[in-house]
Amino acid sequence: MTGRLGLCGLVACAGLVITTAAARAHPHVWVTVKSELVYAPDGTVTGVRHAWTFDDMFSVFATQGLESKKKGEFTREELAPLAEVNVTSLKEYDFFTFAKANGKKIEFDDPLADYFLDFDPKDTVLTLHFTLPLKAPVKAKELALEVYDREFFVDFSFAEKDPVKLVGAPAHCKLSVGRPQGMSTAMTQQFSQLGADQRDPSLTIGTEFANKITVKCP
Amino acid sequence: MPLKPAGGRLSSGHVALLVGIIAGLLFVAGLIDSAFAQAGPFGTPRPQMPAAPVGGVLGWIFAKQAEFYRQFSSLIRAAKADGSAAWTLFGLSFLYGIFHAAGPGHGKAVISSYIVANDETWTRGVVLSFASALLQALVAVMVVGIAAALLGATAATMGRAVNMIEIVSYSLIILIGVRLLWVKGRAFVSLLQTLHRPAPVGAAVTPHGHDHEHHDHAHDHVHHDHAQQHDHHDGHADHHHHHGEEDASAWGHAHAPEPEELAGPGGWKRGLSAILAVGLRPCSGAILVLVFALAQGLFWAGVASTFVMALGTAITVGAIASIAVAARSWAQHVAETRSGYGMLAMRGIEVGAAVVIIAFGALLLTGYIVTERMVGI
Repeated sequence: MTGRLGLCGLVACAGLVITTAAARAHPHVWVTVKSELVYAPDGTVTGVRHAWTFDDMFSVFATQGLESKKKGEFTREELAPLAEVNVTSLKEYDFFTFAKANGKKIEFDDPLADYFLDFDPKDTVLTLHFTLPLKAPVKAKELALEVYDREFFVDFSFAEKDPVKLVGAPAHCKLSVGRPQGMSTAMTQQFSQLGADQRDPSLTIGTEFANKITVKCP
Repeated sequence: MPLKPAGGRLSSGHVALLVGIIAGLLFVAGLIDSAFAQAGPFGTPRPQMPAAPVGGVLGWIFAKQAEFYRQFSSLIRAAKADGSAAWTLFGLSFLYGIFHAAGPGHGKAVISSYIVANDETWTRGVVLSFASALLQALVAVMVVGIAAALLGATAATMGRAVNMIEIVSYSLIILIGVRLLWVKGRAFVSLLQTLHRPAPVGAAVTPHGHDHEHHDHAHDHVHHDHAQQHDHHDGHADHHHHHGEEDASAWGHAHAPEPEELAGPGGWKRGLSAILAVGLRPCSGAILVLVFALAQGLFWAGVASTFVMALGTAITVGAIASIAVAARSWAQHVAETRSGYGMLAMRGIEVGAAVVIIAFGALLLTGYIVTERMVGI
């Protein structure tokens, strides 16, 4: 009887703990992504040039307290320290940028020094521009690039218009862009791509459809 | 459970084992929680799959709160032009609070465990939930009000302030857990010893033990403190009465430490530490809304929205706390029908809940559970 009692208590306590188990924070930052894939003359991919536009709430928050000559407007120079903080702290999250060449993960180096922040006074939004070079340029028949926050604190999505450009790519390369397209499409796609070893698909957003750029150069 | 009581008696070894299992499982449950929360506890590489829930009720809650949250900025802008938009903002803030508290960072787990470990009443559970939620709102308003509005601090400075508050808050959670573990652990051990004396359990209820037990609870109701303390046969609420009896059997016979001795001065002060621990950490979302409202010259709307959010949050946390109170009192009810070992299991559960609090605090402090990333990019 003590055993049963213990079990009951255990179930009660564990239940309380587990109620929070799958609960998590929702995104507090939204980013609209425009990217350029940069190619060398020999047809290898050398890196990615990102332009990330933050939502207005976050942009206002991020520029809070920054000094500017003109109230409510910020120049690149005034935003330079903030840009540096951004780029530095993004490193911890691998710049939310993940790439695969021919199905194999490829690594990025630290961003080039040409990064900067832009402020659009009309929409009061910040745009972060930075270039991520690949550690080693790669020639890929199939290149996949994804931008996402696995903790989903930042919600990335590709821009509606011209989300991706190929810069200097060989003419026969074909680009396709996958966006999160609402649950049903996404789920179907996800199910079809699930390996046997993966967890319950209902709990995860597959990287397979979230903001994925695929470039095929056969 | 593999334990088969022979003639209703278990050896202390068995009981200790049982409690060990409970505590261990609770701890593991905490770890699982952290695994879910950030996928990858203790330095293991995090899986490549992002773990945002898509389907089911959780996915829906998750999507809804994000949807509400996204509308805040345009509603604040709209309220600037047309005051009536503020009502939409408040309505949405309320709903957001209710949904948002289902996510991490609002102390459900800590408050629930605290209630189980510390044998809190429903009233106190609800008060704890509301007070911590309101404190959370107050801290957010103060951080933004002082740092941003008065001092013109940057987002980075506010982020650092929140980080410091987090460290204090999580350390407090650990302290509360350790204190509870100490008190409940000693209670457990001494009850174990009592049960192994030949005298029948509960036969020697001393007035001393009885009195003190009521004294402990009397603090929960400060206004009739003395009446209860000295005249414990009059006008007791039910739970007071049976606690007195149950604890008398636990405490009265053996010369164990009185819970009150170890706990220090009573109820509200104790509750205050829990409110502080849980409520200190402001919600990132509220801070963003406040800063945005401030920039729009509509700080008051941000403040009101933050408090309405807190109200929503309190309702959810309070509901979960109520479940904790019910679960505890049900376990208590079962325990009371068994003398001795039933109470031992009850004490074991309390010890387990204290361990859960420590585990949560430690995981939060070390970053294995991330409640909300304070905007770093």
